[in-house]
Amino acid sequence: MLQQFQQIGRDLFVAGVVSSHGGNMSVRMGDRILITRRGSMLARLEERDIIGTGLEENDSNVMLASTEIGVHRAIYQATSAQAIVHTHPPYAIARSLVCDEIVPVDSEGSYILHKVPVVATELTAGSKQVADLLPKWLKEYDIVMLRGHGPFAIGHLLEEAYQLTSVFEMACRIMTIAEGMGQQVKEYRKGSERYETW
Amino acid sequence: MRHARGSQRGTPAATRYDQDVSPPDPALRPLRGLRVDLSARSAQTEELPVEVARAFLGGRGLGAYIALRERLYEVEPLSAQNLLVFAPGPLTGTGAPASGRYSVTSRSPLTGTVFDGNSGGNWGNALRRVGYDYLVVGGALDAPGYVEITADGVHFHDAAGLWGLDVPSSLARLKELQPGAESAVIGPAGERGVLFASIVNNRGRSIGRGGLGSVMGAKNLKAITVAGHGMHTPPVADPDRLEFIVYEAEKLLKANPITSTALPEFGTSVLVNVLNQAGAMPTRNHRESVFEAAEAISGEMLKKDHVQRRAACRGCVIGCARRTTAGGQSGEGPEYESIWAFGAECGVGDLTAIVQANYACNRAGMDTITMGVTIACAMELTDEGLLPDGPRFGDARAIVALAEATAAGTGLGAELGVGSARFAASHGRPELSMSVKGMELPAYDPRGMKAQGLAFATSNRGGCHLRANMLGPEILGVPKMVDRFATLGKAGLLINLQNLNAILDSLSVCKFTAFAMKEDYYARLLSAVWGETVEPQELLLIGERIWNAERLFNLAAGFGREDDSLPRRLLEEPVPAGPSKGHVVDLPPMLDEYYVSRGWDAGGRPSPAKLERLDLARMALAASGRP
Repeated sequence: MLQQFQQIGRDLFVAGVVSSHGGNMSVRMGDRILITRRGSMLARLEERDIIGTGLEENDSNVMLASTEIGVHRAIYQATSAQAIVHTHPPYAIARSLVCDEIVPVDSEGSYILHKVPVVATELTAGSKQVADLLPKWLKEYDIVMLRGHGPFAIGHLLEEAYQLTSVFEMACRIMTIAEGMGQQVKEYRKGSERYETW
Repeated sequence: MRHARGSQRGTPAATRYDQDVSPPDPALRPLRGLRVDLSARSAQTEELPVEVARAFLGGRGLGAYIALRERLYEVEPLSAQNLLVFAPGPLTGTGAPASGRYSVTSRSPLTGTVFDGNSGGNWGNALRRVGYDYLVVGGALDAPGYVEITADGVHFHDAAGLWGLDVPSSLARLKELQPGAESAVIGPAGERGVLFASIVNNRGRSIGRGGLGSVMGAKNLKAITVAGHGMHTPPVADPDRLEFIVYEAEKLLKANPITSTALPEFGTSVLVNVLNQAGAMPTRNHRESVFEAAEAISGEMLKKDHVQRRAACRGCVIGCARRTTAGGQSGEGPEYESIWAFGAECGVGDLTAIVQANYACNRAGMDTITMGVTIACAMELTDEGLLPDGPRFGDARAIVALAEATAAGTGLGAELGVGSARFAASHGRPELSMSVKGMELPAYDPRGMKAQGLAFATSNRGGCHLRANMLGPEILGVPKMVDRFATLGKAGLLINLQNLNAILDSLSVCKFTAFAMKEDYYARLLSAVWGETVEPQELLLIGERIWNAERLFNLAAGFGREDDSLPRRLLEEPVPAGPSKGHVVDLPPMLDEYYVSRGWDAGGRPSPAKLERLDLARMALAASGRP
């Protein structure tokens, strides 16, 4: 399990979707959570950076856990997620500042995501507002964007949640590049006008 | 042929729902049932409230609900009191991908557990077209007969001229007697009480494994025909939305190499080489996990030497079925598990003999996995000197002869018809039965796929890969690859898969679609059919409810933690060679993790809080009435 955290943490940093000490990840193990330590560097995770604590009840380890522990718990309690990846990808964050939902135009993004909702709260980091709001959306979508902050992605495994994050940021980047060309995007996907209803 | 009392207590069975309900018929509505009492030769319609549809969907879920509510755990499986619940699901016949399925649920004579099997083809679709969401069959006929269900009523017929016919002949004869009707039949194995007899429709689509064919046989019921041809299709609330979701889902199925290439080209037998290379192919009654002659019985060889053409269930874009020939005979299959059971498990590398043994089972209406594994058990007993003149590992002629003898009830076959658990016990060596809860394990050695071991041990219907097949994450990388030898950390993944499969069996959709589709697609399909949003999480909660309802049934039937186990060999005897060399299954910690993750106590009993959350508390109370 440590190896999975290390490999994916490193990949997230190399992909540029987290800053040096940004982002967090967790997996559910029955009634326990393994979550990255508050202030840990995802690219340099060691055994001491993976904190085990209760899914529903606090124990002393909670003081070491990521600031987002409350959000992770709320997501696990409301969904069937077995893993969560939360990152700060720049293209996705930028787009979330001007959109209420993000509908990819590239093939991979369309195929895997169709649509990613953007939600907003006054307090974005580790707040009860986020813990109350996000799980409701993650019941219906596997990745949801918190405006100005970053996406929360869920999966049965860390790798799944990582994949969604990676595909999402790539889709946002492609949209930004395509828009920068100043040309009308030519549609190639049958039924794409309905992706907003996904 | 005689039209016996068409019978009607209460609401006439002849009621046409598509006539007495003003269009458009709502898709989400109370479930419309038909209850047939064979002893009284009568039938009546009934309804279950819409809350039951929301809570259990249909198919397997509805079967579990009825089995628990009507306390089938208190009845002898082969008695007239046992019920058979036939149920398609809310997606059956709607055009959703691979959805032409139905389930049959009962108490199994092989395992004593609640048991459901499901089958493709057209039978389930026909039942919905006639206007029913489910059919409950109880009692027993005083002489062999069959039941005909039409829009005009239920008719009871004499089975003279049918009883004793094999499955293909029975289906052909019924096609003459009931042109345009769909038939679900039993063969000689079901008539004779073979404990792993199947119910078969559309040539080779079988409700296999748990012996529900023998439950039909014990009721003197040869067949049930449904005349749904030309009737109304099941209602869909938002056909335009459904078309959109089906298009998106079929894009996934057509792009995924498993569903678009491997299964269509080779069928399920594509797995022979894959599992063998992983050291996860049980061989010679699970003594080993690599079969030296795997190449000779592979999907590639089946395609080269035996396959005539592909076949598919109605509306399926995958098309995994095969029409084959062997030694002058022709028929359906074999599937991967059948090739393995008669092949590697019996040490047989003769593919022609394997195909012929499969045909023998298909003709008789018998489960191929249990037949093959029971023969393998006999082969080991012979090796151990406990079965004089018994079959030997590698004897290709024996697998065909013993399958035929079991169907006929002759010679050693008369003993094998009870399955390996009873057979091995009768020879004083119960540990040589490769079974869980009395049902034979399929073609995946858990010593090379540890979570598969946990899946077998916790399966609600005994040794089965269809409750949850960890082939995906442990071998194929679906949804992602996990360490197949790791013991802990996979309980959550398994539980999700068990819950998801409970949903697929209840919708009813083929599980192969899950190689490409995730739960959100099924939720969107159901939302379009029902006309109201069903969230993926809500769907998974339904799956969890169904799983726990089945668990409650089994607890009431006397099963507990001690039954959530594996054959001693898999727990104690390391694999002797190959990629899984040295491995056994360390089950207790896996079971502990699984129970905690399920919200069950250390004895495997759902906690009151869990039952409350799943709204099963009331049913649990009913079940606990048993001493």
